[in-house]
Amino acid sequence: MEEQNDSKMEDKKKEAFRVGLGVLILLVVFTLGEYWIGSVASVWWAPLLLIAALKAFLVVRDYMHLPRLFAGEEASE
Amino acid sequence: MTAHTSTLAEYQRKTAANRLGLWLFILSDAFVFAGLYVSRFYLLGTGSRPEVNQLVGLIVTSVLLLSSFFMNRAETAMAHGDRKTFLNGTLITLILGTLFLIGVVGVEWRIAPFGPGDGAAASLFYAMTGFHAFHVLTGVIFLAVVYRNGRKGLYSAERHWAVEACAVYWHFIDVVWIFFYPALYLIGSAVH
Repeated sequence: MEEQNDSKMEDKKKEAFRVGLGVLILLVVFTLGEYWIGSVASVWWAPLLLIAALKAFLVVRDYMHLPRLFAGEEASE
Repeated sequence: MTAHTSTLAEYQRKTAANRLGLWLFILSDAFVFAGLYVSRFYLLGTGSRPEVNQLVGLIVTSVLLLSSFFMNRAETAMAHGDRKTFLNGTLITLILGTLFLIGVVGVEWRIAPFGPGDGAAASLFYAMTGFHAFHVLTGVIFLAVVYRNGRKGLYSAERHWAVEACAVYWHFIDVVWIFFYPALYLIGSAVH
């Protein structure tokens, strides 16, 4: 029973690590996109701000775990 | 109900209250950064920006994003009782945070072809990066404390509020920079 719980916990951890890595990859792609836009067309401020907002959304949702705030006392991970 | 579960329930109740307090603090701090951000567009518009090195900007931004990834990894590890990965992640975050500080204050400030008093763009650049760097420094100190306590074994999968608070604060610093980066380095043409 304990082994089963450990294995479950390990799977949950691996899944959380995978989500974290996925977010990092997206952040890197968006940042390189921003850099490219800023290099070739620095007057395109609207797409740059939109990309920044998307990046911030990802960090707030997946790294800062904003939904925990509304989950009450049960949220721990 | 045993004494242990009762204490754990109490800890979770307190954590929920602490979490709300931390987010309120972050929200109030965000307004200060928002003031600086709006000032940048009010004074410089979207056609100009400070004359800064875009490559340095990309490098320091990448370092900070990477640090957020390792902070998230550290916090996740602690939440699942993996102390070794937690300690490694926290240490890497601390190192990357220090590298970011060196990149902005030690390199970018040094190579910038203007001083803080050389016009609106220059003043905004130093105000925005300086205020942000101060927060990064605070975060690095916070990380060092969490790392030290983690080594002493003060956190567990059930009780690690300090780790969570440190992580949320660190990611907040990252979010601020996500908005500052295009505003300072990418939008508009460089003006001296």
